[in-house]
Amino acid sequence: MISVIAYGLTLGGILYIISIGFSFTFGTMKIVNYAHALIFTIGGYILYATLPRIGFYPAAVLAATLGVIPIAFIIERFVIRNLYGESVDLTIIATYAVFLIGLDVLKWIWGSNPLQMSDPINKTFTFLGTELPVYRMAVIVIALALAILIEIFLQRSMAGKIVIAGLEDKETVRGLGISVQRYFTMVFIIGSALAALGGVLYAPITVVEPYMGFQILMLSFAVVIVGGLGNWRGTFVAAFFLGMVMSVTGRWWGPASEVAVFAILAVSLLIHPIDI
Amino acid sequence: MLLEVEHLDVFYGKAQAVHSAAIGVKPGEMAFLVGRNGAGKTTIMRAISGFTRAGADSRIHFNGVDIANHRPEEIARSGLRYVFQDKRVITKLTVRENIHLAAYPFHVSPKAAVAKICDIYPRIEKFLNIKAGGLSGGQRQLLLIGRALIGNPKLLLIDEPTEGLAAGIIEDVFKVLSQLKGDVSMLIVEQNLDLVRRLADRIYAMKEGRIMMELDNSADSRSGSNLEQFL
Ligand SMILES: Nc1ncnc2c1ncn2[C@@H]1O[C@H](COP(=O)(O)OP(=O)(O)O)[C@@H](O)[C@H]1O
Ligand SMILES: [Mg+2]
Repeated sequence: MISVIAYGLTLGGILYIISIGFSFTFGTMKIVNYAHALIFTIGGYILYATLPRIGFYPAAVLAATLGVIPIAFIIERFVIRNLYGESVDLTIIATYAVFLIGLDVLKWIWGSNPLQMSDPINKTFTFLGTELPVYRMAVIVIALALAILIEIFLQRSMAGKIVIAGLEDKETVRGLGISVQRYFTMVFIIGSALAALGGVLYAPITVVEPYMGFQILMLSFAVVIVGGLGNWRGTFVAAFFLGMVMSVTGRWWGPASEVAVFAILAVSLLIHPIDI
Repeated sequence: MLLEVEHLDVFYGKAQAVHSAAIGVKPGEMAFLVGRNGAGKTTIMRAISGFTRAGADSRIHFNGVDIANHRPEEIARSGLRYVFQDKRVITKLTVRENIHLAAYPFHVSPKAAVAKICDIYPRIEKFLNIKAGGLSGGQRQLLLIGRALIGNPKLLLIDEPTEGLAAGIIEDVFKVLSQLKGDVSMLIVEQNLDLVRRLADRIYAMKEGRIMMELDNSADSRSGSNLEQFL
């Protein structure tokens, strides 16, 4: 039971790290960004490619997380920025195209075979008689630390307040003379770096393969909707809740774990239909 | 003229909401725009302030500069501020943070901005630390007007400031606005004709997307008695 809870929290942490950027892009710009899944996958690959060369896991994590920033910048500048104010369907189609193109590039560089990584910490500890991998606990700690940092950024900095205000009413913020778009771009870049971090942290738990981002994006979508659009705290709660649901249902019957997530998504949509 | 609008057309898709409107506001003037719901008042205000596209032949000059279809944040920074209809404060931030937000683009110190609003509307001081979503309609409106004054704009466009407010509160709002009169020019959408006649230097009446009448209230001395037909 303890290991089920621990795995649920680990999944929750990874879901949170991935979803937070998706949540802000969706909440601020009303863009469903499939390219987010690509960034996540690229993060995993950069880790895979750099770790043997760098040799020091935290440095490789940093390289992968920061390495996607230029890519995110290009995607923002040439795709996302042209989608402001467009219909949600168009944002899906355009960013999905980016996702597919990126996928082909990844396959061209690394092939389609799943690439296995080892546990970077490779130590366990015993908690209440259950043996737990230190790495998975570290993931939970990183997720919690990020949630706290994001909260501090939003509550304490002027940029954070502009983002909160922009989530609620973009026009009002512009009417005050603030170029709110610049802050949304910044949020997009940070969110993308976090997506890559999510991919990096997830890679040692699963395998690195071109489609790893696809399934995660669907889950991330569920997290953002269940947590409430534009509600970053809701994203946090929903990520850990759904991570736990996946862990518990997966324990009884593997394939049921995603079904359970989408059942919860369906119920949540019935209770609070979204209108975008 | 501080604000000079000519041939303003606005389209929503194929539907034309504003037809060749002309509006002028002189420095220091308090001008009003009246008309029924759906006449196109908000559309005109939004087009002037850059939130809604103005048609290609539209001419919008503010302070001698062509601002037609400029970005709303640039227009705001150039000294033309639009206070939206529906009293849109940022509900999730405190009253104080709402004020800080307005101070930021003008490099006004947050303290000075708060002091300025407390000066205009002293009762706000008690509410500085609550979320702006907890304010009443009148309090919100006064916060919005105060907030729009930060950075010393030359012109305020205010859209239905008294909509949905009780009579006593309407008086409060207009007391503040009349105190500002002369220091900052205003173009106000207002349905309350008594107030309009009392305070207006100039009145524009609109119907179905067109400006039907322009009254210079000092010259046409209270002759705006036929304004009722537009409401
Ligand atoms: N975003 C919009 N899209 C389409 N039509 C609109 C939009 N906003 C306003 N309209 C239409 O334009 C006309 C003028 O609206 P508006 O300017 O809001 O009027 P007023 O402020 O005088 O009540 C109305 O017929 C309204 O239905
Ligand atoms: Mg209106």
